[in-house]
Amino acid sequence: MGKTLVRALDGVDLEIPEKSFTVVMGPSGSGKSTLLYLLGGLDRPSAGQIEINGARLDQMDENQLAHFRRKTVGFIFQSFNLIQSMTAHENVGFPMQFAGISSPERDRRALQLLARVGLEERSRHKPNELSGGQQQRVAIARALVNNPALILADEPTGNLDTSSGNSIMHLLAELHQQGRTVLVVTHDPRMTRFATHKIFLLDGKVVTEQAYQQAVLE
Amino acid sequence: MRTLDLLRLIFGNLNRRKARVALTAIGVVIGTAAVVILVSLAIGLQRNANEQLYGIGDLRQIQVYPTFGGEGMPMPGPVQGGKPLETKLLTLQALEEIRAIPGVAKIIPRDYMMANLLLRYKQFDGYSNIIAVDVNDLAELGLQAKQGETQLQRGTVVIGPMVANSFYNPRLRPGQEPPPPPELYGQTIQFIFIKWDKDGKEIRKMAMFKVVGVLKETRGESDWSMYMRLEEAKTYNEWAMGRRINYNKDGFGQVIVVVEDVEQAIEVSKQITDLGFQAYTPQSYLQGINNFYLILQVIFGGVGAIALLVAAIGIANTMTMAILERTREIGLMKAIGATNRDVLAIFLGEAAGIGFVGGLGGVLIGWLAGQGINVVAIIYLANQTAQQGGVPPSVAVYTPLWLPLFALGFSTFIGLISGLYPALRAATMIPVLALKYE
Repeated sequence: MGKTLVRALDGVDLEIPEKSFTVVMGPSGSGKSTLLYLLGGLDRPSAGQIEINGARLDQMDENQLAHFRRKTVGFIFQSFNLIQSMTAHENVGFPMQFAGISSPERDRRALQLLARVGLEERSRHKPNELSGGQQQRVAIARALVNNPALILADEPTGNLDTSSGNSIMHLLAELHQQGRTVLVVTHDPRMTRFATHKIFLLDGKVVTEQAYQQAVLE
Repeated sequence: MRTLDLLRLIFGNLNRRKARVALTAIGVVIGTAAVVILVSLAIGLQRNANEQLYGIGDLRQIQVYPTFGGEGMPMPGPVQGGKPLETKLLTLQALEEIRAIPGVAKIIPRDYMMANLLLRYKQFDGYSNIIAVDVNDLAELGLQAKQGETQLQRGTVVIGPMVANSFYNPRLRPGQEPPPPPELYGQTIQFIFIKWDKDGKEIRKMAMFKVVGVLKETRGESDWSMYMRLEEAKTYNEWAMGRRINYNKDGFGQVIVVVEDVEQAIEVSKQITDLGFQAYTPQSYLQGINNFYLILQVIFGGVGAIALLVAAIGIANTMTMAILERTREIGLMKAIGATNRDVLAIFLGEAAGIGFVGGLGGVLIGWLAGQGINVVAIIYLANQTAQQGGVPPSVAVYTPLWLPLFALGFSTFIGLISGLYPALRAATMIPVLALKYE
């Protein structure tokens, strides 16, 4: 956007193993969210290649990207991004509408997932009637409805208190244990305890943990 | 995305912002109501005009007259392209030419009375238009009897229902109450034919005719006319002219051509004109009137459509604002797997939905207003016609079934068109930018 090209990511070359719990650490402006959006097919690289499960995202058209997002990826955002006019139950079921799943099946699956995140009692509540932690749980349930192989979370604990944040972290760890690939972008160091892989970003470049720690200390 | 889910989502989204949707839809309501009322009014006017015109005669009939023209005539006939027309008389041979035109069912020669005529019955004197026709039964001309029969025989006449009104008592003194018109059915009327010789001396010839039938009212020429057989009138015309009439040379005064089907009337009439005669059909008159009302409908509809156009700008504005406010929602929809087409369908659907809801309101209000106008107008016009005579209108504003359906479809279409630009903007948003929009 705009006329000046900003290199949010520069020369990043990395591989994320399947079924890993990868944590991407970096300060604001390091390009970690850009990395997540590129991996989720929400943004396109101006140069370079992105390959997920053998599919080249950089070569897909808009329609193919939409199908990729629908089938392969579940997004979790810092600000939850729930639709305020819909109940928790409707928010969870919403992605299935685009997948053409029938209404009874949507209801069944949405209730099942709400139960899994411990919110079956709150299914008829609207987002503004739920706490931050509960809203993020609804968002996680929504990310899971199409049974994606890859969960991408952008600062999932950023807007939550410590206890709610912990509970969300455990929920993500649980998803990883169930065999999904989880990638979390954060600057919360607590998240690294669940990580099987860590990536450190500084000014759009991948750096070692040492270099990162040093830069943070400085 | 399933159609039912899409519709549910669209109306759910509209329901979310009731006040704004209602305010935007008011414009559409006004526009659609205007289209329905104005077009209904134009259709009502047309129906009224057609009802009033029922007296113009049988639509299958074409009136054919001879053409009198040529240079050096004291009264030049009709001119086409600056050239005087050739004289073309309705001779027996000409009748054969007309009969050969496809679609012609019947040819009925007609003539006028050339002598001056005074009618006398008891103390009454009267005048009437005499129509001499070459038919045995006036039913062939589409005429029906109110009293008696429509069969014409020698020495009989069939009269129009108003003929008796022209009878008056010449010996009535000023101030004296005129007597009611005489009942002529079944009576014998004295016909006094009058002509003048070279010296200006009046010559009279008397004849008696029995009235065997009175026709039903047609609001046309027949109401004030007396019908008699052509050959009988010919005898008196020969007396008036002082010579024999040869139809092969003199031709008939007029011929009525009856076509097989109303639809053929204009085409046959055109072919008769091409043969050089003067042809008039009420069908062409009616078509001209109908064309006029069609133009009126289009103009009236156009005025309503302008109101809808203004409403369309309102819809476009509302949708543009909605898309700005819901940018993050659009980003989210794309993140959870909505295609550009899904987003386009949702926002186009919402715009069309506003058009549809407004259209529904407009059709209802337009129809109700039309009914209201009808009640008031019919009472007023019925009073007017009761005072002035004539046929009271049965309807002032007429809404045919197709009109509300068309208006509803049109308002929905207008909504759809208005939403095109905002919806395209929404559909082509870059997901990541939409998600980050503050």
